[in-house]
Amino acid sequence: MTWVKRVGWRHLVLILIVLFALFPIAFVVSAAINPLGTLSSSELYPTGASFENFHKLFTDSRYPFVHWFVNSTLIALVSAFASVFISMCAAYAFSRMKFRGRRGGLLALMLIQMFPQFLAMVTIFMIFTTVTDLWPAFGFNEVWGLLVLYLGGALGVNTWLMKGFLDTVPRELDESATIDGASHAQAFFRVILPLVAPILAVTALLAFIGTINEFIFASFFLTDPESKTLAVGLYGMIAGDRNVNFGMFAAGSLLTAVPTVAVFLWLQKYIVNGLTAGAVKG
Amino acid sequence: MTTPSTSSVDSGGTQGAGSNGSPRPLPEQRRSRGRATTPAAPREITTGFLAGRVIALGLVAAIDLYAGPPLISGRHWAGVVILAAVSLVIAYVYLSKRHVPVKYLLPGTIFLIAFQVLPVLYTLTTAVTNFGDGHRGNKDEAIVAIQTSSLQQVANAPEYGLSPALDKSDHLVFLLVTTDAAGDRKVQVGTADGLKDLPGANVGLTGKVTEADGYTILNAGDAAGRAEEIGAFAVPTGQGAIKSSGLSRAVELKATKLYDAGCDCVTDVASGTKYTADESKGYFVGPNGDNLSQGWKVNVGLHNFARLVNDPAISGPFLGSFVWNIVFALSSVFFSFALGMICALALHSPRVRGTKLYRTLLILPYAMPSFAMLLVWRDMFNTDFGLINRVFGSHIDWLGQPMTARFALILVNMWLGFPYMFLVATGALQAIPRELTEASSIDGATAWQGFKRVTLPLLLVALSPLLISSFAYNFNNFNAVQFITKGGPFPPDNASSGATDLLITYTYRLAFGGSGAQFGFAAAISTIIFAIVATMSAIAFRRTRKLEEVYS
Amino acid sequence: MRRRIVFAALGAAASASALAACGTDDKPAAAPSKDKGNGKLVIWADTKRTAVLKKYADQFGKDNGITVEVKEVAENLQTVFVTASQQGSGPDVVVGAHDWIGNLVQNGAIDPVQLSAEQKSTFAAAAVKAVTFNGQVYGAPYALENIALVRNTELAPTAPATLEDLVKAGQDLKKAGKVSEILLDQAGAQGDAYHIYPIYSSGGGSMFGLTSAGDPDPKNVTVNSPDSIAAFTKIKELGEKGSGALKTSIAAENVVATFTAKKAAFFITGAWNIADIKKAGIAYDITPVPAFAGGKPAQPFLGVQAFFVAAKGKSKALAQEFVANYVTNKEVALALYDADPRPPALLAAIDDAKAKDPDVAKWLDAGKDGLPMPVIPEMAAIWGPFGNAEVAVIKGGDPKTAADAAAKAINDAITKK
Repeated sequence: MTWVKRVGWRHLVLILIVLFALFPIAFVVSAAINPLGTLSSSELYPTGASFENFHKLFTDSRYPFVHWFVNSTLIALVSAFASVFISMCAAYAFSRMKFRGRRGGLLALMLIQMFPQFLAMVTIFMIFTTVTDLWPAFGFNEVWGLLVLYLGGALGVNTWLMKGFLDTVPRELDESATIDGASHAQAFFRVILPLVAPILAVTALLAFIGTINEFIFASFFLTDPESKTLAVGLYGMIAGDRNVNFGMFAAGSLLTAVPTVAVFLWLQKYIVNGLTAGAVKG
Repeated sequence: MTTPSTSSVDSGGTQGAGSNGSPRPLPEQRRSRGRATTPAAPREITTGFLAGRVIALGLVAAIDLYAGPPLISGRHWAGVVILAAVSLVIAYVYLSKRHVPVKYLLPGTIFLIAFQVLPVLYTLTTAVTNFGDGHRGNKDEAIVAIQTSSLQQVANAPEYGLSPALDKSDHLVFLLVTTDAAGDRKVQVGTADGLKDLPGANVGLTGKVTEADGYTILNAGDAAGRAEEIGAFAVPTGQGAIKSSGLSRAVELKATKLYDAGCDCVTDVASGTKYTADESKGYFVGPNGDNLSQGWKVNVGLHNFARLVNDPAISGPFLGSFVWNIVFALSSVFFSFALGMICALALHSPRVRGTKLYRTLLILPYAMPSFAMLLVWRDMFNTDFGLINRVFGSHIDWLGQPMTARFALILVNMWLGFPYMFLVATGALQAIPRELTEASSIDGATAWQGFKRVTLPLLLVALSPLLISSFAYNFNNFNAVQFITKGGPFPPDNASSGATDLLITYTYRLAFGGSGAQFGFAAAISTIIFAIVATMSAIAFRRTRKLEEVYS
Repeated sequence: MRRRIVFAALGAAASASALAACGTDDKPAAAPSKDKGNGKLVIWADTKRTAVLKKYADQFGKDNGITVEVKEVAENLQTVFVTASQQGSGPDVVVGAHDWIGNLVQNGAIDPVQLSAEQKSTFAAAAVKAVTFNGQVYGAPYALENIALVRNTELAPTAPATLEDLVKAGQDLKKAGKVSEILLDQAGAQGDAYHIYPIYSSGGGSMFGLTSAGDPDPKNVTVNSPDSIAAFTKIKELGEKGSGALKTSIAAENVVATFTAKKAAFFITGAWNIADIKKAGIAYDITPVPAFAGGKPAQPFLGVQAFFVAAKGKSKALAQEFVANYVTNKEVALALYDADPRPPALLAAIDDAKAKDPDVAKWLDAGKDGLPMPVIPEMAAIWGPFGNAEVAVIKGGDPKTAADAAAKAINDAITKK
């Protein structure tokens, strides 16, 4: 009885929520192993089962899936680290320092996110047409160009997230460090960063997922079939034409989750025991 | 103050100054731990100090070396000035001992200005123009387009086989082959002066000139290399000019519409109709009020805003959409946060086994490509084929009725959003010192009381800024609505505003659903929405200041 | 300690890219530089056609000693093309549907293609007519598309002569428990003007009046004319409150699955879905969409896929050569047919394709009285409001109310430019 009261209810709640979470994904699995490649969600079980769709993903010359996979993972990893660093710096300033325009800056950061992104396409073309002319390495069809573009959004949501967390870290910690003679940079790198490892890990994961899912900019930025990202490539399988290949699309969607889950498993230990470990070993 | 600061006086000034009023106990313990991790070492300060500055300067130099030469060789002097200014700012900020907050804010701000602020500002400036399909370029571009698309082949003119060649002084000429009814071929040479016969040239089987006295014939590769020159070359004739059509054919063309700068009008040569430039509309307008389809971008003042106010079809549904928009954003944040937090709390116990597996399964909805999952959900809500009706044995037209469609959207958005909230809540729970929750349970509080008194308030401190920004995100959650309902269902008597329309999907349809893209109009609507939301957020934000003051 | 080094390294990397970006931010408003395009041809297409084009584009490149790049824009190709062209980042050639022409021309995004009379005569007449706008040919057509009635011959051995016969046969099959749907004609929650049009036109409905030249007249929207309201009334009779042949739950995402699962005998669709039907092993036949008894002919929309020459491309002469003189050849047309089985627009290729596949003749037959999709840019204003009206009447709403609302919304969108 006490087990039920202390732990059992947790399992019950978790299992219910996991069912809710997996329910729609079950259909994607069903479509992926259905050789006819339909995404008709009226059936829980597929009419046939084979790995043909997965096989085709790796062999069909129209869809360089492996390239997409590598591109996406690369862009998402680099962009996650860069944007975590950028927004962590900003969050530190917003949380710990007092300066003119602090609250105004925070508010502006939020407001700028509320502007409709689909209107930005024209300007992005204006900017990157010039960039492509002058610095082709950062222009259209270059992963670095897209990365730089993504970093424009790095300050947005992540800064808010991390500022919130930093506000819960006792200020006495970095204060005492500065009293001991550390510079603000040392307080930041040695005291704060290790303490907020779980938050860094969470933010990195969120940034990773956000990047891997992005397709509005990626869809016109990267137009060489080999330079596409997973989201754009998969979207192309089902959009723009009336003929669709849901089977391969479903298989590709499932595989898209693999890098994300891998990054999650990798970062999980920081998320879970970050605080204590960080404080002791830092 | 912990850091040197600019001399500003922030009126929200309890920041940074310590912990009076903080609910956080046990500062001694944590402080001592913190101190243990950072032994003061002046020598390291110097090293770090130097290293930081060397890196900053090195980077600035590297960037200048990379970005500068193309700017200079391209004579983009304005660009050079901006580059120099930005470099100086960076160098100054990182070399100086002052302006510490700027050191931390600068990297992100540079990207933000380039790729978010500039696009927004540019968009705002288009709100007073007619920028959109039919009005994308300037007037000169429109005139070129009108004249180019008016080029017609001269009636009964022969079809020429084209062999581009060079004359003795390396000038481009066209060697043109015509075939008469009897199948006899005749070769002429076309220069900028006109056509003349070229006897004695050899014509190959494909109709290309293979040899001609005094001319060097360009092979395919050389011709392709000079494609621009060939495309621009014209051989004048009595009626018009012979122009290339590709690299192997040429046709005699004449313009049927001509622009005259004197009257600032375009004349249709055949009918004599004059289309006069109307600078208020950005069109060439004919006598009957009809216009040529190619227009240009002009300033229309507040016309776009006036249209927004004056048209009841646009301003009428605005309020309803706005209220639903707020309900949608609030409930999306609330439900996904509630569910995510429950997951995080349930897992936040050393006694629970299989946490790794649970966590992995719980983030799956977030790891899958979101547009794919939105499509799956849309299918599940299908009246006849969807699984939801099948499981419950119902026959509800989920997406066809206003209330059920709204419910469905919020449910789907909860599903998409809760793993995110689960992750941040997990992170935040880890950051709450266990001593606090343990202390409260030693005090004899029940788990629920402990949660209510200690955990939830601390979670909210950590997450309330995030919740606000999550609200901002969902306020504009275009994909969720566009993929699932496209704003529908629509009432039968109103095709412009649906029951689940957010302001952004509504704007999108107004701007792009009608006669092509209307960027200017979309920008005007966005500006208005932006102003409303900004005002609301600013007010809400002022209120959160109180919260922040209490806890920091 | 180790962690600190990692962070320091990351920090350096991140600020490097941060600073790199500050360089990219210095952009003077420069015009795209001239003559960069020489010796290079850039083609944009959608996902479907990129791979097959690549092979022939490479061949063209080899023949002319140039490099050819085929790029794929997965989403919104038309809008992205216009926007990119305007800014000078566009391609030299773009592949798209003929109903883009009106919009591309009003934006000055494409140039006319000068086809000789002889070249024009090698194409199906309907295809040349479709790519002609304001008396000028704007693209080289390569494929035709239209919808027809695809029938499961096991369930329904004979083709219905009228729509009434079709509904009756479908109802009988449903009563016998052999199928679950009378007819598959995708509508979805937003309606689908393209797929309902044959039924609507057979009921007497139309979208635009005609100008004296016989072109659609955007000043005369006829969606709520008495004839059109009569057509909407007929659609209502087929709808959810009527015989149930048309349903909003039948949508693009489930029609193929339902047909291949043999849950319906009749399917109004195009050649793009045939591959799936064949794969499922369904015995099928293709016939024109039947008309109402005593009604007007059921006209499908005719669509044409075409190559366009970008007006602001960097290699226009090469693009003209490619479009006017190269892709108009039979091998390219047949290869494109193999990649995507829509009937070719080139007459010579049609004969070859017919020999290969008897379906080609059936598709062409079903489309022979079709209405070329109007090229005028105002057509864009039709889809949304018309779809809403369709959904409203299928659900049993009043046809006149729905048609009036649609006409008002369409007129508003057209006049409020």
